[in-house]
Amino acid sequence: MNDLAFAGTDGIIILSAFAIIMLLIGYFSGRGEKNLHHTLSGYYLAGRNLGFIALFFTLYATQYSGNTIVGYAPTAYRTGFSWIQSISFMTIIIGIYLLFAPRLYVIAKKRNFVTPTDWIDHRFKSKAVTLLSIFLMLWGLGNYLLEQLVAIGQAVSGMTGGTIPYQIAVIVFVAVMLAYEWMGGMKAVAFTDVMQGIVLMIGIIVFLIGGLYLVGGNFSDVTRYVAELEPAKTAVPPMEVNINWLSMLLLVGLGASIYPHAVQRIYSAQSEKTLKKSFARMAWMPPITTGLVFMVGIIGIMLFPGLDKTGSEQLVGLMANEIAAINPFYYWIMIIFFGGIVAAIISTADSVLLSFSSMLSNDVYGKFINPKASEHKKVMVGKICGIIAIIILLWIAWNPPGTLYEIFVLKFELLVQVFPAFVLGLYWKRLSGKAVFWGMLAGAILAGVLTLTGYKTIYGIHGGVMGLGLNFFICIAGSLLAPAVSKSKGLEEDLTAINLKA
Amino acid sequence: MENRTIKEPIRKKWIWIVLAIITLGVVPWYFPDAASEPYILGFPLWAFISAVFSIIMCGYLSWLCVNEWNIVEDQEEAEKAKGDKS
Repeated sequence: MNDLAFAGTDGIIILSAFAIIMLLIGYFSGRGEKNLHHTLSGYYLAGRNLGFIALFFTLYATQYSGNTIVGYAPTAYRTGFSWIQSISFMTIIIGIYLLFAPRLYVIAKKRNFVTPTDWIDHRFKSKAVTLLSIFLMLWGLGNYLLEQLVAIGQAVSGMTGGTIPYQIAVIVFVAVMLAYEWMGGMKAVAFTDVMQGIVLMIGIIVFLIGGLYLVGGNFSDVTRYVAELEPAKTAVPPMEVNINWLSMLLLVGLGASIYPHAVQRIYSAQSEKTLKKSFARMAWMPPITTGLVFMVGIIGIMLFPGLDKTGSEQLVGLMANEIAAINPFYYWIMIIFFGGIVAAIISTADSVLLSFSSMLSNDVYGKFINPKASEHKKVMVGKICGIIAIIILLWIAWNPPGTLYEIFVLKFELLVQVFPAFVLGLYWKRLSGKAVFWGMLAGAILAGVLTLTGYKTIYGIHGGVMGLGLNFFICIAGSLLAPAVSKSKGLEEDLTAINLKA
Repeated sequence: MENRTIKEPIRKKWIWIVLAIITLGVVPWYFPDAASEPYILGFPLWAFISAVFSIIMCGYLSWLCVNEWNIVEDQEEAEKAKGDKS
């Protein structure tokens, strides 16, 4: 998107407007809330009181980032119709939530959990397991945040035709994000997500309509064109692609559902009713989000045939230029849409940052460094460490890595290793801390080594999924050989479903 | 309220069997090579059927959330109603 010439000053105006709206939302959501900055659950979980609208949009805007558009359309362009998998792998996340969210919600409310680690700690009471899972989750989150920071710069400098340079764009928007997050915590994050989510939804729809208009309005013509030009992109996928598809369902489904910021949204729900209602609506979002983006990518094949990998990464920007040239209506919608992409990236970045700093304050500082500190102090430590983390990540971001999609898989490979401990631990009393620790470690090492040595997939199966298989095996075999002996009555209660209602 | 049973998705096998079947429908492993035509709404045949299964998955999961998940809802809503009155 480096040569998006259509929006210079106009782009700056829209971006500034977005920035001001976000700051105002942050200011008003923090105003008059005494408890917000004095308790961990007030700041990090919006007082466990998110209603349906805020919860739904914060789930939506966090799960679908600007990368969903900027990165997935080029992937559809390169892989063709088999990228229709992006609908199913985003949908399956809800199915995985159903495995654990119902019970976790109840236990978290009862035991006042703030971070995912609180559950791991409560369940296994093992420093080794707690530390390893903190490490894996922070690693995954850090990588994810880095990716968002890189994307903000690319989107803004692209949109303003380079009028705002990459570095300045990142710094300005990160400052806005830090400011509203500082003022309103999770509440500000969730309320800004409402605005960011709406802009994203409308933007994608208009973008697709514009794209269709450019190719003459008939999607069948596009498919016919693609089939003639590159038959492999419309052909029935070979077996390896199908295996990869299944592997992707596992990796994204299991990984995205236990993202720390995703788990914290379960904790933040006002009630079971709002939580399930939000999930029920979220289940319908993939077809109208990744599904439409997929179609945009396919249309791109007809509009700009023959782009190589680097060239195709610019696809959204190239198309936006063409769409903006149709007439003034599309011109302004495209500018708002690009603002929406920036907003969507920020809405993901702010949630990840909040989760990151909650783990630093509640888990690292609160569990290991200074457990006796007041909650107010813990919140403060988290806020400041979050800013320091951002500065470090920014420093790394000045040398952005290759294509966006590859980092996306990398972060899941490690993060997903927390899954057995997290979910098996909810239902299986015999699962022991030792087995979990070695499983998690072995899984993470296998996944990391495979990925780093270039075996990102073997026969289409992701390294992370193979690591997860090993991880599950060790957890189960280890626990069968030496089952856990439960010491805590409270834990015993949590693991017995019938007591959940107490 | 005491008579009401708790609904937790993990405890019902059929939920997961149906989900697995839908998933097997989504991934196009079962098509012969000729299934790229005809085009339906612009999608090659296999992609169209895969998309239909994807949408069935959306509907199924959405339905499960509302109808097969109920642990503390009644209790919470009762408390909320009480809180609203006082």
